[in-house]
Amino acid sequence: MAAPTTPPDAVVTVRNLSKKYCRQLRTSLWYGLRDIAAEAWPGARPPAQLRRDEFWSLHELSFELRRGEALAIIGANGAGKSTLLKLLNGLIKPDAGSIRLRGRVGALIELGAGLDPVLTGRENIFLRAALLGVGRAQALPLLPAIIEFTGLGEAIEMPVQFYSSGMVARLAYAVAAHLHPDVLLVDEVLAVGDFDFQRKCIHHMMSYLASGGSLILVSHQPHHIQAVCRRGLVLEKGRLAFEGTATEALDYYFFRQLADADRAAQAQPVPTLSPARPVVIEELVITGAGAVVLAGEAVTVALTYQALQPQENTCWGFFFYTPDGSTCITGAYSQSARLAAGRHQLACRLPRLPLTAGEYLVKSIVAELTTLQPLAMRGWEDAPTRLRVETPEASLQANAHRMLQQLTTLEVEWNH
Amino acid sequence: MKETIYTSQSPLLAPRVFLRDVRADLGVVYRIGWQLFVRNLKVQVRQSLLGYAWLLLPSLVTGLVWVFLGRSRVLNVASGNVPYPAFVLAGVFLWQGFVEALNCPLQQLSNAKATLAKVRVPHEAFVAAGMAVVVFNSLLRLLVLLGLMLWFGVPFTSKLALVPLGLGALLVLGLALGWLLALLGLLYADVAQALPVVLNLWFLVTPVVYSPPANFARWLNLNPVTPLLLTTRNWLLAGAAAPAPGFWLVAGLAGLALFANWLAYRFATPHLIARF
Repeated sequence: MAAPTTPPDAVVTVRNLSKKYCRQLRTSLWYGLRDIAAEAWPGARPPAQLRRDEFWSLHELSFELRRGEALAIIGANGAGKSTLLKLLNGLIKPDAGSIRLRGRVGALIELGAGLDPVLTGRENIFLRAALLGVGRAQALPLLPAIIEFTGLGEAIEMPVQFYSSGMVARLAYAVAAHLHPDVLLVDEVLAVGDFDFQRKCIHHMMSYLASGGSLILVSHQPHHIQAVCRRGLVLEKGRLAFEGTATEALDYYFFRQLADADRAAQAQPVPTLSPARPVVIEELVITGAGAVVLAGEAVTVALTYQALQPQENTCWGFFFYTPDGSTCITGAYSQSARLAAGRHQLACRLPRLPLTAGEYLVKSIVAELTTLQPLAMRGWEDAPTRLRVETPEASLQANAHRMLQQLTTLEVEWNH
Repeated sequence: MKETIYTSQSPLLAPRVFLRDVRADLGVVYRIGWQLFVRNLKVQVRQSLLGYAWLLLPSLVTGLVWVFLGRSRVLNVASGNVPYPAFVLAGVFLWQGFVEALNCPLQQLSNAKATLAKVRVPHEAFVAAGMAVVVFNSLLRLLVLLGLMLWFGVPFTSKLALVPLGLGALLVLGLALGWLLALLGLLYADVAQALPVVLNLWFLVTPVVYSPPANFARWLNLNPVTPLLLTTRNWLLAGAAAPAPGFWLVAGLAGLALFANWLAYRFATPHLIARF
């Protein structure tokens, strides 16, 4: 297989990167000692294969990051994201493969590291800058901007041990952000800050990228990833599982997780009717005119239920969610419906599906009409229905939706 | 623009790159080390009521105890022409310098483990900050000792000018062993457990509080601390100017060992961090 070519403006080039770890602490220490001895004996190459109790934390990973680009690394816990950042930061050494970096690397990996709890915020700015390789004289002119960015006000003169975790994050991010590295590695650090600070950080990352900086972001927050990154990688058990735009990578990741959840849900017995559970939603099916569901076209939504006895004054509804299941995009409740005893179907038609092309989840509910008290739910505790919407044809508009990460479309009557 | 390449190869296969990295790191060690040293001093003072008094207090109390013991003539050990309390204090203070230097790398790097696992920073900076404290403490102890020598009427001679050389050799020997202990001790906790026991035994086989008896002199001289400590104490307390046998040999080997062990630690660093 030919080696992938490296783009000329790549600031990070990773080729066949592998790193192994050991499950047993004592064995790991012994391997450590042997690896150290092998360093002093250059002829003795470290063994490329796994030794007893070892596993690949990263295996055969290749990618590159260009100047001005932001790359999201997505993956479950233990997928190898932090190992990758440690390797990129030069803290640990690859067991195979190579990393080529151009320029100075700055890392925001764990914000509290290197701050002294007894010193004030102001003193810690100098300490942290020193740890990042910037002396007092160079840090001094940046001080007002850093303090301004932290937004800590008078708390900057307070010992850091009295700070909340959000305040520590503000301080540490502000220092690292103002030292202008060529490549910035950010590992899940925005989660502790408040919304104002998260907005500030995202704004800073955008302007950093616009000024030619490059960024690698590890985050579990889809909106941070979508706000900052154009490209995304999904890691699964140390291997590259998917590479594409950030939205595609998130879609892939969440659908893989849902596939796992589906398997788990299928393993569970289907809930049966009982006096405590008088209504059960068996399935929800969304179908288009053809084999696939198309954006902007008519679709039919059909809900199959089982009821113990007939019920008046009920309604049913369905809701479209983002693939992570956290944001409800839109949905609808029916007018009064009557449930018959036994297994039956409720259906409706959407003349024009208002979703853009992409992956969605659909949750459904059967409820009392007046109180909206649920009688049966599907998709909250158990696996929701998955919906894939495709675009009727490749168009400029469809591309624009993807670029803007737009989820729904609006029907507009333009007055001109 | 600076290009960095990380591979699995040993740094010995690319010595030029390795030396360039060492040089770049040493360039910032002073800056970071100084900040850390100032931080350590500030932290020590801020969390205590007596503040800077703690810098001098331990040595002063030790000194005063020995003055008291000397005056009450509880101890009667042969120490040549020098009053025994001055003899013991000189020995103890020099030994303390050696032990602090030996403990310094493992202690400093263990304390900074959380930072070292997350921030790319030359580890030498933490050791340098620790060594600055060791040197600082050693100089304060020497100051106390000079005061006591005045009290006991020990003459100040020109040989005092050689004391920094002897003290330096002791600290270099301690630091050389310290780097090796840090390498092993950051992996295995056994090192930190065994160290106090070994140091206690070592103290007993080093002529710190006694003069080496003639029939054991050969054996005691196998202990590398002996020639360094005896020579420096002689220079301090107006004794013989000629260094004890083995002084130059031990000092030279200590310098080489310091260099070798420090390099070994640098090779080991990524493997140690992977196990923090």
